[in-house]
Amino acid sequence: MGGRRFLSVVYEHMFAFGQQEGTAPRSRELPIGLADRVRPTTPVSGRLLPVPAPLAPLFPDRALRRGTTTTVAGLPGHGATTLALALLAAASQAGSWCAAVGLPDPGVVAAAELGVDLRRVVFVPHPGSGWAEAAGDLLPGVDVVLVRPPGRARLTAARHLSARARERQAALVVLVEQANEWPEGGDLALSVGAIEWEGVGRGHGHLQGRRAEVRVSGRRSAGRPLECSLWLPAGSGVVAATREAREDGSAGAGPGEGPEAA
Amino acid sequence: MELERLVVVWCPELQQEGDRGEEARRFVQVVARTGELCPWAHPIRLGVCALPARGPARFFGGEEMVVSRLVEVVGEDAHVGVADGLFAAVLAARARLIVPAGEVRQFLAPWSVATLARPELAVTLQRLGVTTLGQFAALPSPHISDRFGADAAAAHLVARGESGELVGLRDRSIERRLRVARGEDPDLGSTPPPYQPGFFGGASAADTRAALSFARVQDRLGIEAVLLGRIRGGRDPAEQAALVPWGSREAGAARTGGAPWPGRLPAPSPTAVLRMPRRVEVVDAAGLALEVSGRGLLNGEPARLSVEGGPWQAVTAWAGPWPVTERWWAVRRRRARVQAVTADGVARLLCAERAQWWVEALYD
Repeated sequence: MGGRRFLSVVYEHMFAFGQQEGTAPRSRELPIGLADRVRPTTPVSGRLLPVPAPLAPLFPDRALRRGTTTTVAGLPGHGATTLALALLAAASQAGSWCAAVGLPDPGVVAAAELGVDLRRVVFVPHPGSGWAEAAGDLLPGVDVVLVRPPGRARLTAARHLSARARERQAALVVLVEQANEWPEGGDLALSVGAIEWEGVGRGHGHLQGRRAEVRVSGRRSAGRPLECSLWLPAGSGVVAATREAREDGSAGAGPGEGPEAA
Repeated sequence: MELERLVVVWCPELQQEGDRGEEARRFVQVVARTGELCPWAHPIRLGVCALPARGPARFFGGEEMVVSRLVEVVGEDAHVGVADGLFAAVLAARARLIVPAGEVRQFLAPWSVATLARPELAVTLQRLGVTTLGQFAALPSPHISDRFGADAAAAHLVARGESGELVGLRDRSIERRLRVARGEDPDLGSTPPPYQPGFFGGASAADTRAALSFARVQDRLGIEAVLLGRIRGGRDPAEQAALVPWGSREAGAARTGGAPWPGRLPAPSPTAVLRMPRRVEVVDAAGLALEVSGRGLLNGEPARLSVEGGPWQAVTAWAGPWPVTERWWAVRRRRARVQAVTADGVARLLCAERAQWWVEALYD
């Protein structure tokens, strides 16, 4: 594993000379057509993008698979944004570039608390009607694109984006209120069901953790609809498994003492 | 609502920061000299600082005396003005005027709607034949919010002389910029490990590919469309983080670290920090509007809330109030924050000033 990883680093950096530090190329300065021809040079071992450990059980590969579309659905306030941002955490920490399109007022501090490496994530908060085009522009360049369509997405736009993710070997994460707002249906569909806030009473405490039931379905869920109880987020701002979902069942995982909280 | 009477010092030459940061250093001196004369001098943005008028006016024997002393002491070709509320006081400073108390609306009436720094709103209003703040103020309030949105409603209150605050009027990063200009540590925290560049000291192939795609989005939507998040010190949810354009100098130089500030709300932080806070009504079980007292306490328990005139929702749990402890420029203004969970499970961060409540952030 270590050797492979080293190799992938070598491949990625082999032809990188000539780029001056800090001067990002503008597309108009590049030869015409090059932008369409550059391709990811990821070795086979890199087909998976890591997710935080508590979220791994939601995925058949225990990670985000490149080229697939994952929908994250939840009513406002139920933590779908937290879950979607958490999917960027481990990938960005591993050095993958990520993008979040259409989150109008992103909570940057919350993203950082979830473990997102802010140096590797760009936000496009107000793409307007150009959200699908913006996401399409980003898919060839970054490993994970999180997109929130402004309403129910058109079938053609959804198909086009999923196809582009497949072709460019990027992971597409779609944040919606109801799973059917993404007409294609995702390869994997995560939806947040019942939630409950902990730590806050009538005039005392503070919001400490949101216990949420997350359901997994979709084409790639291998016909095994799965339910998982998670802290979205736990007290320190990270996602964590609740006591029920933990296999060892040893240490109590209250909202403030999830595995990552220490 | 009675507005705080303010003195504003306006230095036209120091509003734009040049390459060498000379303006920021000179402005630091302006704030320091103003502060020596009168307490509570508070920087608003580069080249603009404000202070409450009442105390110094008593001490120096009238607002005219305060203004003339400030002009002498500050230098820098400073313009000084006095009016009720920040917005009018800034315009008064630009015009070197002392606007009599209670006459803000008349003073503002002849100014162009462009002074609100809302270009889109200004264009729309001008098409409707509304060119001055006076004409804008005369439009009926209930229609403004429906037709133009919450931000325009806030601007309308300003035009009517009922509020002095406009989003964008204060540079939220000014304190930090002045700390930099003073040569102090802007973040008061530890430095994160430096980002490891590619093998050849430059960008890696993945970085190049990413840069290419960001540039395409910028070509499509504008330079300001692609942003990087930055953490900085601060207590307000909106103050703790900034979004800076990708590729800008600030994005390259900014640090991602920052010590947690005392007095900030504990984690988890809200996942949506609203640039435009939404008005919300909060009442107790008896249906009486909830207020924050001068000591930052509530006069009851929140029982129901209604966001922007929407349906009433029961508050099932709440926490706070946390007083806003910063030296808010107007000494008499007290604000407090409350976390509230409604029956539908939605958690919001509310902020109150007296009886006016706002949704500041959401926990989604």
